[in-house]
Amino acid sequence: MSELIFGFNEEQIKKDICKVMRNLFERGLVSALGGNVSARIPSAKEFWITPSGIFKGELTPDDLIKLDFDGNIIEGIGRPSIEWPLHATIYKVRPDVNAVVHAHNPVTLGLALAGVGLKPITVEAVMVLRKVETIPFAFPGTDQLARLVAEKASIGARAIIMQNHGIIAVGANLYEAEAIAETLEEVAMAQFVAMSLGKEPPVIPERDVELYYKLYRLEK
Amino acid sequence: MQEQEYFGYAGHILYIDLSRERIEEKRLNIQDIDTFLGGIGLATKIVIDEIPDPMIDPFSPDNVLVFMTGPLTGSPVYGGSRYVVAAKSPLTMAWGETHIAGYWGPELKKAGFDGIVIKGKATSPVYIYINDRNVEIRDASKLWGLDVFTVDEAIKKELNDNNIRIAAIGPAGENLVKYAVIASDIQPNGPRVGGRTGMGAIMGSKNLKAIAVKGSGKIKIKDFARLSSILSRLLPLIMSSPTAQILAVYGTAGEVEEFYEYGDMPIKNFTLGIFEEYKNITGQSFREKGIVVDIYGCWACPVKCWKVAEVEGRRVRAPEYETIASLGSLLMIGDPHYLAKVNYLCCKYGIDTISTGVTIAWAMECFERGIITTMDTRGISLTWGNKDSVLKLVELIAKREGFGNILAEGCKHASEIIGKNSIDYCMHVKGVEMPMHDPRAFKGIGLQYSTSNRGADHLYGVFFRIEQGQRVHDLKIYERVDRFAYKGKGWMVATMELWSEIQESMGLCKFVDIPPAHVAGLYTCVTGIKKTVPELMNIAKRIFTLKRLFNIACGITNIDDTLPKRFLREPLSDGGARGEVVELEPMLKEYYEFMSWNNNGVPKREILEELGLLQYVEKLRIKI
Repeated sequence: MSELIFGFNEEQIKKDICKVMRNLFERGLVSALGGNVSARIPSAKEFWITPSGIFKGELTPDDLIKLDFDGNIIEGIGRPSIEWPLHATIYKVRPDVNAVVHAHNPVTLGLALAGVGLKPITVEAVMVLRKVETIPFAFPGTDQLARLVAEKASIGARAIIMQNHGIIAVGANLYEAEAIAETLEEVAMAQFVAMSLGKEPPVIPERDVELYYKLYRLEK
Repeated sequence: MQEQEYFGYAGHILYIDLSRERIEEKRLNIQDIDTFLGGIGLATKIVIDEIPDPMIDPFSPDNVLVFMTGPLTGSPVYGGSRYVVAAKSPLTMAWGETHIAGYWGPELKKAGFDGIVIKGKATSPVYIYINDRNVEIRDASKLWGLDVFTVDEAIKKELNDNNIRIAAIGPAGENLVKYAVIASDIQPNGPRVGGRTGMGAIMGSKNLKAIAVKGSGKIKIKDFARLSSILSRLLPLIMSSPTAQILAVYGTAGEVEEFYEYGDMPIKNFTLGIFEEYKNITGQSFREKGIVVDIYGCWACPVKCWKVAEVEGRRVRAPEYETIASLGSLLMIGDPHYLAKVNYLCCKYGIDTISTGVTIAWAMECFERGIITTMDTRGISLTWGNKDSVLKLVELIAKREGFGNILAEGCKHASEIIGKNSIDYCMHVKGVEMPMHDPRAFKGIGLQYSTSNRGADHLYGVFFRIEQGQRVHDLKIYERVDRFAYKGKGWMVATMELWSEIQESMGLCKFVDIPPAHVAGLYTCVTGIKKTVPELMNIAKRIFTLKRLFNIACGITNIDDTLPKRFLREPLSDGGARGEVVELEPMLKEYYEFMSWNNNGVPKREILEELGLLQYVEKLRIKI
């Protein structure tokens, strides 16, 4: 019963993964073949993940694959996302994380490629994103990429920008992870517009940022 | 008792004893599917189970010739067009197999059979006619001697059916040319050929000219809705691959330029790195010159690498990369019109273009060195680049006339006849002439050639794709590899060879690149049988190891797991692979360890036990 209340029924998780993927696709944060999403029952050592190579706009629960942390297929058929090592490694180092979104946020990535860091320009930028980290390029699907992500995840990052690749957003559940991915893009877009108009965007006053940081027990 | 219902599989295998004129149907054994899957896996088991003694003469009636489809052959799965043919080979004098795409395999399934097992030898020429599950052995006396195109027309006329699918041999198969092919889907636009290891000669040795098939049935799919849903969404992945895009426009000929730049495309019997005339024989050139006139495609193929040329008023399959190199750059010829003609002649007579080119290249190098003279060739001048001589030799080889009778043996056996160290210029592994990828340009391909069960083979592993930068996550090949490196390639080559066993067991084409885990999923949708990639790889190891046991029983040892000395000791002075030789020994060591073979290349007892193959040690009388 408790599983149902908190949305941790496996069938519900599968449906939610498809819904989140569709949302991301419709918002242009994942493309036909790019991006992947996973989620697990809290503390489980297995997780459901989207398939590789299948059009991302129309996934159904039957397309999803359940893996253990070594990549062995527990349930489902077909090919899991090649980024499964990255998802597995986050679950290993972050007991608080039950959902991982990997998207290709175009504006976030564009700013990162231009060497521009995201600033606390909105309340959401502070409250939702909290800790954003950036890692250098590594080939998709490799252990090297998984290691770089794990390093940043283990110090509490909620969002990770992967240079020349995309972003990772993690959350206690799928909707939190989706919200982080979307907020990242929203903040990046606002900042990009301001900068395109030749203005340095004003940020939330330092004192308020500090209050939020204190509230969320964050290190600056 | 209710009969087993099959999905994907047709459920029946046809056994034909030509000596006794006996036709028998057997139900497909579920246990065999579980352990050998289908296609080449099942063919391997049947050939080795049915051949009474591995040391038989390949042309003896005791040799067993198996035509086998896979569970995905004839299904809607992209690239599910293939069938395999296996027997003891007259080239390797050990394991032989060849693979053929097109429509013949799907037609056989629609006729109700997964495969055909041919035993014995007919007393006079025959052909087999399969019309759904009605099977006849028919007289082929009037067809004997006809070329591949003419026999196709004659059988269609005799059966009064222009849509029948025919697999046939030409004069070369009848004359037991050791690299004679089996051709199917001959007209229009064909033929597709199974070229390697002389399976056409085995067909000829049995007095079997052709197998004509007509099927009106359907292949049952376990979960058609899900299969369709996955396939439609997989298409962008498959067609976005750069290789698929080149193949779609130019066919394999579209890769000439790239392979040349790698130093991979062989020139002058693998002795040079530069051949400026390569520019005339690229896929682009064949189109610009109007030689390639159309695009065709195999069953369920979105890529359509099959290109059509017009030669002597016929629409025929255009020259592929392997043909362009083996009968072109290897012989110092850069003329696309000649290549269209020589390709057509090889198809017409039914000989393998790779083996033909490599054997002629051997003869040309021997001629240049004075080992072979016009006394041997009966007046034919074997100078490099001599197109007329090559065109003449193709005919002589197919008819086994004059010097062609020696060349019809393949370069290894021919060099044994000529002697005088001519073997040094024969580019073969285990008797099979080298394909057109220079192992000094892709070191892993050298290991693949040396370990392949059917001799030098570019398609068992297709490892040059990995060395071009392709990764295969599902098989744990995560990182891009350096093509000149040799360390760490042993397990990778073995892994790709094993995956090829699965592709050939499923009936899938390697040019439609479906990632392994998707193949496993599609197999489940088609058959209702769940198999994971690790389970499939275990089956692959069983198939590969059983062939290895057969080869050992035929006298193959670790000494045969090698390359011609040219690749081990003689670097090229120019081109994209300049200065390189193949460091084979360390790669072999890694490979043997990964495959659980001892230092002599014999599989260890533990692995045989694990794979359930121990009983073959006794049957094949092997020491382990």
